[in-house]
Amino acid sequence: MSELSRDALLAIVRDVWTERDPVPDHLVAAMQAAAAMADSDLDVELMSLVERSTELAGARGSSAYTLRFVHGDTDLLLRIAVDNGRSRVDGWIVPAEPMTIRALPGDTTGSHAAVVSDSGRFELTDLPVGLMRLRLEPHDVARPAFATPTFEI
Amino acid sequence: MARTGSGRGGAERPGDAARPNAVWTQATDGFNRWVGGDPAGLDDLVAVMTPVLWHVVRAYRLSETAAEDVVQTTWLALVRRRTAILDPVAVGGWLTTTARREAWRVANATTSAMPVEDEDLAPLLPRQRSAEESAVQHDEGDRLWAAVDRLPERCRRLLRIVAFEDRPDYRELATDLGMPVGSIGPTRGRCLAKLRVALMETGGDHR
Repeated sequence: MSELSRDALLAIVRDVWTERDPVPDHLVAAMQAAAAMADSDLDVELMSLVERSTELAGARGSSAYTLRFVHGDTDLLLRIAVDNGRSRVDGWIVPAEPMTIRALPGDTTGSHAAVVSDSGRFELTDLPVGLMRLRLEPHDVARPAFATPTFEI
Repeated sequence: MARTGSGRGGAERPGDAARPNAVWTQATDGFNRWVGGDPAGLDDLVAVMTPVLWHVVRAYRLSETAAEDVVQTTWLALVRRRTAILDPVAVGGWLTTTARREAWRVANATTSAMPVEDEDLAPLLPRQRSAEESAVQHDEGDRLWAAVDRLPERCRRLLRIVAFEDRPDYRELATDLGMPVGSIGPTRGRCLAKLRVALMETGGDHR
């Protein structure tokens, strides 16, 4: 009489349930669609652009300007500088809150991300120019992510 | 119902024993690729973990529709809160834990609609079902099912969760199943022993 090992017994349990209460046929595809939709930002709340100002253009195509977005109680100030075809974003979030800021360039899948400091500041460097949006992901899991509308650098 | 049972004997099947590890590795791989910017990574993560979540959630006695909702809530939570996962190796555990918490919440929210406590009813059900199926138990798959099915309700639920999950949190599991915290380990051992006996009693080539 052979004693079945724990792993063998658990394998039997898995097999039995896999057969008797199988995953509904459509479920994996439906979950992939739901996850992709959530991932696509289509359901992410957008911040509103409330201010835009251009600073003096520097020599040889370097320039800088500021954008201000709001969403609920969160205020986001961005200073965007372009130099030699690359850009950098210095951001300030008020009130300061632990979150990850992700830059989503329009035409690439590269990911640039930064974590907000205690004082609410963050910086993203060496970004491409062109269409850009920022996704703000609070570390407080009870708070949903939100994003800026697309803006052009 | 019919199964194509191939090589299902008393011998251990190494492939199955190793399978859970493969699941968690694939989950971590998909998660890493997704976070690295590859949307196909998310697809793969969902494909490999959705069946695990399904079986864990269904152990909470939710209807199919309710179970599907819980699984979806879990995926949305992952996508929206990916920064909450600091260790990619732990993504599988994060998903099953999130799913179990949600399943427990939903199951408790709907218990008031149940006229009879499941726990009271449970001991009666398996034997009835086994009797109905006794005529067709010559099939190996039916025999294994009969063995699992005749286990006490608590054992069936506990073993289902333990079989599909990777080292579940015993403290939470104890609360979910209404058992003392320290008793999960011993209970699991007793449930496995009962299953061993049930397999022998239902015959087949395990003896």
